[in-house]
Amino acid sequence: MNRIVADLLSFGRQYMRSRVGAFFTFIFPILLILLFGAIFTQGGSSAFTLTTQNIDNTTLSQTYLDALNSTGLVHISLIPNNVNIETYIRDNSLTVALQIPWAFSQDVLTCVASPTHCHVNLTLYGDPSKSTFGTALGLLQAVAQQMNFQLANASAVVGVGVKSVASSQYSYMDYFLPGIVGMTVMTTSMYSMTSICGEYRTRRYFKLLATTTLRKYEWLTSKILWYIISLVLSLLVTAGVGMLVWDVHVVIGPIALAFIAVGALLFTSLGMLFGTVVRDPESGVAVANAIGFPMMFLSGSFWPLEQMPSYLQAVSKALPLTYLNSGLRDTMVFGNTASALTNLAIVSALAAALFLLASKLVSWKER
Amino acid sequence: MVAIRTDGAGPGRAGGSRMGTVIETHELVKTYGELNAVDHLSLGVREGTIFSLLGPNGAGKTTTVEILEGLRAPSSGSARVLEHDVRTEYTKIRRRVGILPQDFEPFDRLTPREAVAYWARLFNRDLTKGDVKTLLEDVGLLERAGIQSLHLSGGEKRKLGIAMSLVGEPDLLFLDEPTTGLDPKARRDLWGLILRVRKAGRTVLLTTHYLDEAEHLADEVGIMHRGKLVAGGRPEELIARMGSQTTIVLGGAGAAGLQEVERRGIRATLRENDVLVRVSDPTEMRAVLAKLAAIDIPLKDMYTVRGSLEDVFLSLVGARMEEGVLNP
Repeated sequence: MNRIVADLLSFGRQYMRSRVGAFFTFIFPILLILLFGAIFTQGGSSAFTLTTQNIDNTTLSQTYLDALNSTGLVHISLIPNNVNIETYIRDNSLTVALQIPWAFSQDVLTCVASPTHCHVNLTLYGDPSKSTFGTALGLLQAVAQQMNFQLANASAVVGVGVKSVASSQYSYMDYFLPGIVGMTVMTTSMYSMTSICGEYRTRRYFKLLATTTLRKYEWLTSKILWYIISLVLSLLVTAGVGMLVWDVHVVIGPIALAFIAVGALLFTSLGMLFGTVVRDPESGVAVANAIGFPMMFLSGSFWPLEQMPSYLQAVSKALPLTYLNSGLRDTMVFGNTASALTNLAIVSALAAALFLLASKLVSWKER
Repeated sequence: MVAIRTDGAGPGRAGGSRMGTVIETHELVKTYGELNAVDHLSLGVREGTIFSLLGPNGAGKTTTVEILEGLRAPSSGSARVLEHDVRTEYTKIRRRVGILPQDFEPFDRLTPREAVAYWARLFNRDLTKGDVKTLLEDVGLLERAGIQSLHLSGGEKRKLGIAMSLVGEPDLLFLDEPTTGLDPKARRDLWGLILRVRKAGRTVLLTTHYLDEAEHLADEVGIMHRGKLVAGGRPEELIARMGSQTTIVLGGAGAAGLQEVERRGIRATLRENDVLVRVSDPTEMRAVLAKLAAIDIPLKDMYTVRGSLEDVFLSLVGARMEEGVLNP
């Protein structure tokens, strides 16, 4: 125990003095929270500009444009009638533009007078693969529908009501914060452990340690303890900043702390296993990036897994970070203890297996 | 209390009587594929001495030492350190040895004070601040005790390595090329430190490719070449046995001088324009000098060159050694 404590204190001292480790454990998650919070929670307008050519230029077409403007989702930007709209779109790199054709008003009135098989079209130009195009199309259709009702002196009969069954309302940042915590657990412990193994091999620290009475499992245990302590502090600091700045609502209870502990155990062991194949710190960083980056994006750290294609969702199920992220959200955001405990069991089993494997496979000695 | 004591009351607990054997290898072999890195090596190191394994790079010195340290397993043969088998009893050995590995690098972000205290706890020893101070003072690092190790010079880093190797109060110290790459002053400083360690009663196994270092420090040397021990013994004995002992140089005597010397029954050789007279028996020196003084030949100067391990190495290996590289 004395040796573990000695190695823990010595490692922690070196870790904090290197500043790089301290940055990625404490500062980086805070920067992410501030950055993503600024992007997704500030009250800035989400409306987009809809370039419009109103060739009809009558009271009716103006009424339609006013109705569009009043949704607050678009800003109408009119262009002259004498320009070619397709050329204008190309020259200005637009993804969407609306054209109200000549005689639009006249055609509408004709249709109202004899409605059988009569249809008047507005024209939406743009790239259908872009999300803005889809949003604009939906909006134009909704406003057109409303106009149709008014012209026919009718009103909508069937509608859709919404009833929330969530235990409580949560924002994007509530959802995002556990993902950042999970990602920090992985990057801090796995990246630095892989790199440390490379450094210890290059600088012959492993050989040096092998000359003492310190055992491999003691050395690994001290690293895991250090990452647990620093990551719990990181969680508290990150959550504190999220609560103070973005009014994030998360619960940090014993299960969340258990996730940090087993997550640190899992990814420290995984980093040490990667460390068995790296020869220097540079190759350690390369190996950690090759594994860590895809895992970061495929494990639901930044967005819900349901938004990914089904084959990527299948891949995510094979990644340990998926269960850590899901478990953290279960306990910190949704209050779903049963699901959290299931995820905790999965992460714990993986962590125990990897710790035993790392203790066995890693060698300090030469052949 | 950890310190380099020089009262002659050193460890003396090497599992045997004083001047017993603390390292013993018998037909030790380490192979890597076709290569015999260590080739049937048999040697013994007596307690309280400095034993130097001497040889060029690739001779098998470090492999031998790492087998003795328990860091590598031998392919065959046996090795015992402090009366324990290195294969099966390494845990007993490592509590009683101190090790300064080749190319030792301290932990950059720890100060010497912190590094020594940390290392001691890895040997289950809690040093007081006073103990740490004494140890750092002994190795000449006290003034740099609070500076992070990345700012230390090469010599200071090796001193720190020696201080760390001493924290467990070892009976036996392995120093693997401790002065390689250091400037002359740093080398001399470390020589003094190593001699103080020996004076404190500890046994030192020193590997080096510096012939002068082995000659200056070692009580006994073992010369290794291509994995084999090609000679062993006290430096002066080796020099007497295989070196040229002392050479009298008649500077600028030329071929005429050589003829005059040989006419008086003295064996000599000509090197460039100098005549060299080798005297293998020190008791003959006075008589030979008297004979040479009687010869009336023009000389630029006349001086003697003492035999050295370099001569021994040259005669054994057939090449000189510079910075660990053989130079035929």
